[in-house]
Amino acid sequence: MTIPSFHLFVQTLILGLLVGGVYALMASGLTLIFGVMRVINVAHGAFLILGAYLTYELFQNFQIDPIASILITMPVFFVIGWILQRYMLSRIANPEKTSVLVTFSLALVMEGLLGIIFQTTARSVTPSYTSEALMFATYRFPVTRLIGFGVALLIILLLYLILQYTNLGRAIRATTQDPRAAQLMGINTSMISAFTFALGVSTAAAGGSLLSIIYSFNPSSQADWIGRTLSIIVLGGMGSIPGALIAALILGVMEQMTAIVITLYWSPIVFYFFLFFTLIIRPQGLMGEIIREKG
Amino acid sequence: MKSKIWNLMISIAVAALLITACGGAATTQAPTAPATDAPVVTEAPVATEAPAEPPIKIGASLPLTGDFSDPGTAAEKGYKLWADVVNKSGGLLGRQVELVIYDNASNPDTAVADYERLITEDKVDLVVGPFSSKLVIPTSEVAAKYGYAFPEPAGGAEHVFDRGLTNIFFAQPAPSSEQSIPFAEFILGLPEDSRPKTFAVITGDDPFSISVVDSTAKLLTDGGMTMVLREVYPADTKDFSSLAAKVADLDPDLIVGGTQFEDSVGQIKAYQQAGYQPRGAMFTTGPSLPKEFDEALGAATEGIFAPISWFEESTIETNPEFVQAYHAMYGADPIAEDSANSFTVGQIVQQAVENIQSLDNTLLIEEMHKATFTTVVGPLSFDEVGRPKGSFMVLQWQGGKIVIVGPDFARQVDAIWPKPNW
Repeated sequence: MTIPSFHLFVQTLILGLLVGGVYALMASGLTLIFGVMRVINVAHGAFLILGAYLTYELFQNFQIDPIASILITMPVFFVIGWILQRYMLSRIANPEKTSVLVTFSLALVMEGLLGIIFQTTARSVTPSYTSEALMFATYRFPVTRLIGFGVALLIILLLYLILQYTNLGRAIRATTQDPRAAQLMGINTSMISAFTFALGVSTAAAGGSLLSIIYSFNPSSQADWIGRTLSIIVLGGMGSIPGALIAALILGVMEQMTAIVITLYWSPIVFYFFLFFTLIIRPQGLMGEIIREKG
Repeated sequence: MKSKIWNLMISIAVAALLITACGGAATTQAPTAPATDAPVVTEAPVATEAPAEPPIKIGASLPLTGDFSDPGTAAEKGYKLWADVVNKSGGLLGRQVELVIYDNASNPDTAVADYERLITEDKVDLVVGPFSSKLVIPTSEVAAKYGYAFPEPAGGAEHVFDRGLTNIFFAQPAPSSEQSIPFAEFILGLPEDSRPKTFAVITGDDPFSISVVDSTAKLLTDGGMTMVLREVYPADTKDFSSLAAKVADLDPDLIVGGTQFEDSVGQIKAYQQAGYQPRGAMFTTGPSLPKEFDEALGAATEGIFAPISWFEESTIETNPEFVQAYHAMYGADPIAEDSANSFTVGQIVQQAVENIQSLDNTLLIEEMHKATFTTVVGPLSFDEVGRPKGSFMVLQWQGGKIVIVGPDFARQVDAIWPKPNW
């Protein structure tokens, strides 16, 4: 173990928070889908990578800035998510029990198709600002991570505002709390489910764009990301977007701090210890609600 | 109710069919091919006349996907080129050569299963090795179990040689622990006022990388330099930002990176973002891939060193012919060292077989220990456990191209020092 200098400590804190914001965006769609539909979308990592590839293609062929391409990829993914939910997932008889298997097979199919279309060479999107960093009070803010953090927070804020202050948002929250009661109140829960799934998948498009400028990726990277995002939503409380944000920031900071204090090998371990102990004390996660099985 | 179950079953069946048809990276043993190529079992007999005898089957399992996919696909090109060259000039012992190549997705367990299958089911006459010490170590034991010779293009870590196997032949000029001698000699030979004093070793957890960087570290510390940091990271690490911040905080003069391709790029980009500008940098793999490294980093490649076993302009006997044949088959892109290494394996196999006029593996192993082979990396001979006896070279990126800067016998131009900002 090495005690870092104060400068290194703060610098690492900054890096952790910046990357935590991006993790939060990636996890927000997943937690939303679980909250409303009780579906664990194991294909979420694959959607992130699909979003990254789409961003890559738009950048390589049309020189579209990866952040700008979010405006293209999010609507496209919304439509894909809608179709997927309406015509495939909604037909599953027992979503709570079988969604993991079905979405897992979807993830594998997507990984395989991506491998055939794009081959397995690692890719990343490299706009002109890739290796730059802003200096502020002797600390470095890598431009790609700073932008990622900003965009992620913006989208999460928008998501939160929609959920809190629009009728649609209220309908979604009602369905999350109690689907049967919501139905009795006149909410079309199957439409809400389709909309929520589509919204969740479209955030994966944005998450994928940010991923593409910060990390390198190939089709099998989807497995790395689904593990991370699932841990975040479990810690944050499944169905809670603020919870996902806090959990993601915690993960980001812990990962980066562990890398400099111990070594990179310990990064995932330290986070999982934290998750483990939190769940012992508070099984519903930091901000989750206790879900009672209806008899 | 019934139609719902029916729909579900059909969906799952379709999904299952798609999965097996697509053959995702780690899930299948079936021979796979790069998307643009014809099926993998290649080098069918050239059809000028019906061959009198069945073809000689040579088997290999390569990492065409996964962590080692870049050098792995380069190695495949070398093998295929060699088979093509041999077949065009009449074959081996008058018979055509047929390669049987499987994709192990950079996974050691898959590679082991592949060689078992090649030897016991496909009944190949000979096998040649995969890329990377990590894969060579377990698969060489399979070959040894069946008494097969195992010439291999890229497994030079100590652990390849210290298990007492005698069927391995590492087809590069020197084992991993000796590959950075020319680089260390250059650094320690710099004049006192410009010589770096401190260095850091940042390596992925891979037997080859660790072997090279640790031996480099020993040479440098024996020469009076100080190692300020040694870190090993998991092989599939993508995020180097905090590691880079740590290195930047210590600011060593020289960075020694133990990398494959992806993490070399990842490290360098992270150092750029962290504002770390060393006076010199060496990476083990990565800078040796002339096309991919340049595409990923552009001007940031300037001044970076790497140990190398071969270079394209070399006039060593058989190399100009190899370069010409390579470009005729694959186009004008620069050649990766790994293709030359696998071609070398082919040359060793060909010369050994022709020397003793036999495909018997026991006799071949004996011959490979005795003879000196004429290859594109120079004359090669091996000690009793397959360590090659020769010298490596050190390359540097200058003006967007790779040039050889040492040792004396191979130098094309002088090295630049210190490294410009990346």
